[in-house]
Amino acid sequence: MMAQEKVALQLTGVSKRFGGISAANKVDLSLPYGAVTGLVGPNGAGKTTMFNLITGHIRPDEGTITHNGVSVLGLSPRAISLQGIARSFQALRLFSHMTVLENILTVTEYSPWSFLSSGAHQRARIERSEEILEQIGLAHRQKELAVDISYAEQKFLSLGRILAMKANVWLLDEPASGLDLNSYERFFTILRRQLDAGVAICLIEHNLDIVRGISDRIAFLERGTVLDQGTPEKILGDERLTAIYFGETV
Amino acid sequence: MLNYFANLITVTGTSVILAVSLNLLIGYAGIFSMAHAVFYGVGAYAAALLGLYYCADLMVAIPVAMLAGALASLLISLPALRVRGEYFVAASLGLQVIATTVFEQWESVTGGLSGLGGIPVATLFGFELASPISFMIVTVAFVVLVVLAVVWLLRTSFGRDLRAIRDDETAAGAIGKNVTVIKAIAVAVSSALCAVGGVLYAYNIAFVNPESFTLNLSVLVMAMVIIGGAGTTMGPIAGAVLIQALPAGLSWLPLPVQNIGYLQQILYGTAMALLMIYRPAGLLGKARGKA
Repeated sequence: MMAQEKVALQLTGVSKRFGGISAANKVDLSLPYGAVTGLVGPNGAGKTTMFNLITGHIRPDEGTITHNGVSVLGLSPRAISLQGIARSFQALRLFSHMTVLENILTVTEYSPWSFLSSGAHQRARIERSEEILEQIGLAHRQKELAVDISYAEQKFLSLGRILAMKANVWLLDEPASGLDLNSYERFFTILRRQLDAGVAICLIEHNLDIVRGISDRIAFLERGTVLDQGTPEKILGDERLTAIYFGETV
Repeated sequence: MLNYFANLITVTGTSVILAVSLNLLIGYAGIFSMAHAVFYGVGAYAAALLGLYYCADLMVAIPVAMLAGALASLLISLPALRVRGEYFVAASLGLQVIATTVFEQWESVTGGLSGLGGIPVATLFGFELASPISFMIVTVAFVVLVVLAVVWLLRTSFGRDLRAIRDDETAAGAIGKNVTVIKAIAVAVSSALCAVGGVLYAYNIAFVNPESFTLNLSVLVMAMVIIGGAGTTMGPIAGAVLIQALPAGLSWLPLPVQNIGYLQQILYGTAMALLMIYRPAGLLGKARGKA
């Protein structure tokens, strides 16, 4: 999976403090295209903060973040998403009172003036949204409200939203939690297809078996600091890190 | 008697325009504005000034008033839409207070507390709308146009943008929505439509003064939307009709005139309390968890 080594996203010396708490401490991290980078660490390690820093929801105190070699520091979350950096949220944050189709369709409508575009363009957007629903297995639920579908289906819908963004960097916050075994397989089939297309994926996941199964490399975070990064075998085989992960005193 | 009912329908129609235009913000964009009466006032003053100094043609007055309403809305939306929820409510409240003061004090334009009187009879395609019935028919036509415009807008990508922001503003930004611009457009469209109501009010009464555009009216319009059911097509219409028809209905009761006002207040209060208990989503609103 590591055939391509071109770096999609590069964090260098990124730090962020909230009062006396260090949420990110001189973090160096690179996300290559066509590879999955797992972010693991105990609760409160700063994993989601890392996503918030990348997507512009939080501005770092110091350090640089580049996408394809160009700085994204200071850009709004919108501007960053338009560059192809997409994220899912732990709490999913779907548009609950819109239909499943509308949740995807609205992502394809980039401009507030999209409704002024030609009928052909509008039909093309609907067709593309329907194709995405086919891919994520929700075509039969397209008229349901997002709030009315099951949790697993909502997870797929959040994935579909990222697919609709045509993003080249995917930041997934606990994408597999709450999924049954069958859903896992479908979920990871979609991810692997994207990897083959060259997308860079970074995921936060508490289930270490899943992390081991899909990640090409892992960065271990604690209290905002990257303690180590490397292959899954190296990181998950490190007894010191395992002890930290499970909250044991080392 | 016929003229009385025609006038009642005209006044109710104007309220429907206010409620439907505010519903675009409250029900679909999740923006709670306490300044809707301001844009109603801007529309009314624009129509009055046009009628007094240029012409009273609705086909001129309505576009001009809509433009004035939309531009006035930028005063609130540009600085205030960067904040969320209760901060916008506070900012809109501030605009309402400032606008009331401007309406009262800018005497050379608004006539101050004395207002602007002697507004000529409105015309449409060269016909004078002198009778209450002809004005009612035109008002109903504009109500239908405003409702259709809102329904159409909500079915477009822009309607989806609004609902996405209402459901989750952070997620809307994260998928690339320009949240501030979309909200500003929504406030401008809502204000422009509200100004149509102001035009109809000005030409119906032939007189405008600041008392008609106070915070009380903004609160009343908000009550129409919430009582009827925010986020529904028919809810604000039902709310506006109910609130306008109630005083008219009470006036037919064999009660001393001085007691009707008190009875009206008691009924409003009781209805609000019962609604919040039994139908918190409004008369025509859907149960929680549904669209």
